[in-house]
Amino acid sequence: METTEKYHFEVVRWFSVAAVIYLVVGTLVGVYVASELAWPFLNFDIPYLTFGRLRPLHTNAVIFAFGGCVLMATAYYVVQRTCAVKLWSNGLAWFTFWGWNLIIVGAVITLPLGLTQGKEYAELEWPIDIAIALVWVAYTVNFVMTIANRKSSHIYVANWFFLGMMIMITYLHVVNSLAIPVGMFKSYSIFSGVQDAMIQWWWGHNAVGFYLTAGFLGIMYYFVPKQANRPIFSYRLSVIHFWALMFGYVWLGAHHLQYTALPDWTGSLGAAVSLAMIIPSWGGAVNGMMTLSGAWDKLRTDYVLRFLIASLAFYAMSTFEGPVMSIKTVNALSHYTDWTIGHVHSGALGWVGMVAAGALYHLFTRLWKTEMYSPKLVNTHFWLATIGTVIYIVAMWISGIMQGLMWRDYDEFGTLTYTFAESVAAMHPYYAMRAVGGFLYMLGGVVMLYNVVMTIRQASTNPSASAEPARA
Amino acid sequence: MSDDKKGQVTDTGHVWDGNLRELANDPPRWWMISFYASLIWVAVYFILYPSIPTLHGYTKGILGWTQIKEYKKELQEIEEIRAPYENKLKGMTPAAVLADRELTSYTINAAKVLFGDRCAACHGAGGAGNPGFPVLADDDWLYGGTLDDIQESITNGRQGMMPSFGSQLSAQEIDTLTDFVLALSQGKGDSVPAGKALFDEAGCSGCHGPDGKGMHMMGSANLTDGIWRFVAKDQRESVKYTITHGVNDGSDPKTRQAIMPSFKDKLAPTDITKLTVYVHELGGGQ
Repeated sequence: METTEKYHFEVVRWFSVAAVIYLVVGTLVGVYVASELAWPFLNFDIPYLTFGRLRPLHTNAVIFAFGGCVLMATAYYVVQRTCAVKLWSNGLAWFTFWGWNLIIVGAVITLPLGLTQGKEYAELEWPIDIAIALVWVAYTVNFVMTIANRKSSHIYVANWFFLGMMIMITYLHVVNSLAIPVGMFKSYSIFSGVQDAMIQWWWGHNAVGFYLTAGFLGIMYYFVPKQANRPIFSYRLSVIHFWALMFGYVWLGAHHLQYTALPDWTGSLGAAVSLAMIIPSWGGAVNGMMTLSGAWDKLRTDYVLRFLIASLAFYAMSTFEGPVMSIKTVNALSHYTDWTIGHVHSGALGWVGMVAAGALYHLFTRLWKTEMYSPKLVNTHFWLATIGTVIYIVAMWISGIMQGLMWRDYDEFGTLTYTFAESVAAMHPYYAMRAVGGFLYMLGGVVMLYNVVMTIRQASTNPSASAEPARA
Repeated sequence: MSDDKKGQVTDTGHVWDGNLRELANDPPRWWMISFYASLIWVAVYFILYPSIPTLHGYTKGILGWTQIKEYKKELQEIEEIRAPYENKLKGMTPAAVLADRELTSYTINAAKVLFGDRCAACHGAGGAGNPGFPVLADDDWLYGGTLDDIQESITNGRQGMMPSFGSQLSAQEIDTLTDFVLALSQGKGDSVPAGKALFDEAGCSGCHGPDGKGMHMMGSANLTDGIWRFVAKDQRESVKYTITHGVNDGSDPKTRQAIMPSFKDKLAPTDITKLTVYVHELGGGQ
């Protein structure tokens, strides 16, 4: 079957289906840990189920399992179609599929066991870190070589963003993971003290900046014009904001360490460049939205396009919010509060999750050469995701700002007004609300998975569709 | 918008994947202006604040801002409000504090958070107690409820000791003693005469007193008031466990742990004074 296809799409199909499964699993774990914060008895005194061990499982599942599968599916798909050639190596692509999934299995086993490097978004121990580097480099090489073989004269903008992400993530992952192993599942970072913290957040913020932003902007630049059947609004805008993001983002990590042992200059530099990133970030949002100029009516009927455009609205919002939070005076209030959690989820649920859903729906119809089993359910998913995201971020805004204000509140005697435990008790209703928002978002994922399974079944029972029968 | 210029805007001439094209529009004017403004913002910020590393340090910025300065300034503002009270508190006894109404309200306010962050984890919010951790809001005190007693408890901590009787008494004797202690707590000690005899014979009365009312000197519990430090759903089992394994008896690995830590190295003397007043005023001070 593969040989009769113009491109190597089978691996893309597997990545796409895996992504939807991981969306459900990752958000399910998220809802569970959110519920643990609201109702702590849910850890049942079982160490493997405690928040400290399941939370990294949640972040790894949504970022690396879901996000990774989306990035690999879309990059392999986009690079072939925009370069008009097959993947440089189908075998290497399959290596990335099985390698990446094996890494995910490794995470699912080691994290609940408490095996961790203790670095946020980089918890996995050294053997798995090496595996990530190998698979990621294979992915990058395959992508670069496919571009090198291209039949088109120019490299399409989506591919610049994918390529920028691949190069930067290779560099960031390798440097941040440098560690001395002292056992099969134990290692110590080669950096120490505040330098280790700085390297960690240099990675941490760029996992957001390159992996979850540049990569997904690559997705936006292919799927928005494709789904809307409109040309990209401005080539110049894409060039300027691409280079501004590539050069700017790497400096932001320091804003995670304001008012710590980090030297003054490092924190200020991070804050200054962060604020200067609003406009380059909005460049992507503007270019995507203006691409829809003259075709706004499509939003009424095209639910996939709805996902893509709503994601850009969330992207514009959270890329404004983040820089504001990096300003020293705001950061003094927001840091260590739930506001940070709300901010990251407005980006993760609103931007990454929704642009990915839009791209995946587009992929399912093209890869299986069929319509979605139920466009209505796509719309249901859209509203569950949107409402869930809004509930989540509103809960965390209230809770985070309240926390910050309670911690710093002084009475007329100059003594603290609230105990820490009082601030914890005040969070309870918002933690419950957050769990509800997350649950709705997860429900959207379940609806999607059902719709996808039915779509693939429909395509495979209908012989007139020339697509490969579903195997996943 | 591009709509208005339809037909005039050309694309870059490149086509990918059948229909992907890029228009030759300029970026929106507001966007370009904001973009340049962002670059200027960074330059201005770098002049104002410490930002650029150099070979032997970094540029300090013309505002002279440092995070330590900012921290000290904010701390100073707070300390200025507190200073009149804190200066007065130095060297004052808790009793003297209680004699000064304004100072008492300052102290209670200040100690609320001290108590919440330092004491409430064991003794509960508002001193309501937890199983194994005494209630501080009632008038039943293991080590006494006067200001001096409370101050001593906080300053040097408390660690009472009740020996484990599991190896000295038979199971039946422990049962009898348990029955007696439970009866005693309900004012019916006389109903278990065998237990009363055992209570004296085994040496319980040596610490808990011949009438079982305990002694503040050694922190032995009052067994007659029905207030249990090791409160449990099955109080009989809990009493039996305490008699069998004792409290803080290092020779019995299953002994109960009951240690009040010393705070003299963790809190300033004035903070201990504040907490003493606060705990005393929770309701049970004597």
